[in-house]
Amino acid sequence: MSSSRWAAFLRGLNEFYAGPYRATLARAQRDEDDHFMLVVLAESLGVPDPAAYHTVELLPAVYEDFHAWHTRIGMDRSPLDHISCC
Amino acid sequence: MLLTDIARRRVIFVGGKGGVGKTSLTSALALARARQGARVLVVSTDPAHNLGHLWQRAVGNSATLLWAAGDGPGRVDGIEIDPAATVDRHLAAVSETMTRMLPDRLHRAARAHLEQARDAPGTHESAVLERVAETLELGLDRYDLVLFDTAPSGHTLHLLAMPERMTGWTEQLLANRDRSERFRSAYGALGGTKDTSDRDAELRRMLLRRRARFSLIRDLLDDGDRTGFVLVFVAEPVPIAESIEVAASLRDLGIVLIGAVANRLSPADLMPLRRARENTLIADLSLGAPLTRIPLVDEVVGLPALEAIAAELTPAP
Repeated sequence: MSSSRWAAFLRGLNEFYAGPYRATLARAQRDEDDHFMLVVLAESLGVPDPAAYHTVELLPAVYEDFHAWHTRIGMDRSPLDHISCC
Repeated sequence: MLLTDIARRRVIFVGGKGGVGKTSLTSALALARARQGARVLVVSTDPAHNLGHLWQRAVGNSATLLWAAGDGPGRVDGIEIDPAATVDRHLAAVSETMTRMLPDRLHRAARAHLEQARDAPGTHESAVLERVAETLELGLDRYDLVLFDTAPSGHTLHLLAMPERMTGWTEQLLANRDRSERFRSAYGALGGTKDTSDRDAELRRMLLRRRARFSLIRDLLDDGDRTGFVLVFVAEPVPIAESIEVAASLRDLGIVLIGAVANRLSPADLMPLRRARENTLIADLSLGAPLTRIPLVDEVVGLPALEAIAAELTPAP
């Protein structure tokens, strides 16, 4: 067996074991990020946010991921009237 | 002796029910300390500001001179906190960041979003807290004493509880960022790629800055050697009942009550019956702090009136 085929086999083996864990970790991170997004957007989603004064300064950093977020949580269109990302 | 207890500290909050003479007492305390050579900053957090009227000066959102000793360092400066101006400034700064970070097509939406935050329920008090933090930093840096003339009790207790609550809030969000970061690096170690590190660093920087500020105020409030509360009331049943509740709330918050002031006591010669009733009400009152009695001073406007009250606070030489 040539060394390149051996390397490909090792990669496949690695993928076989690591793949599922990677998916789990990616999902766990996404859950944390979704939670954060909800906190920051609370006021716009109709949840009164007593800390809106402070959350609003976090908004610029999450705004760009907004489209990815609302499509992933099952809303095809932007749930916010004034954010027309799609 | 109230003035001695105040002289030992850097920050004093003066509170009590509306209309009991908090502003005049705060101002008289400031004047009495300034006469002893202290540099004093008086900050009004009450949206219905009276500081300017009392000193007969235009006082605004930045420090204005109210009184200065002819010789020596003693002086009194005043600030009337303007939450609306603070909200404007804050939202303008965020808007500037957004314009820089976001593509053009999102600008209009971002601005609409900011307008919602302006009207959100906690925005006004967050702005007051922000200004309290700023004036505290200014006060600790350039003055010997900062006196806060606060809004009526309920608002003030809420304001004093906020630093603790907001420290917890930023800590929760930072923990969320930590977990997200750990999952991301574990994901990366298993061969995944997703680079959001710039954004995360920015979020973390903002949260850390907020937490530092909130915990600074919280630590200051918790420190009875530097910070104290003075409770003002008039000798009538309702203000006294409220004062008992405020004293209990302050104990729960861990804030030291250093003095209670029975203000505007009726003159014994002109109104003997009324004065007797007031004396009975405060005789067996126990708020857990020494009680100071201040007689009624006519027409509390201008320096002479403040000097009359200050004289009541200063021990005879």
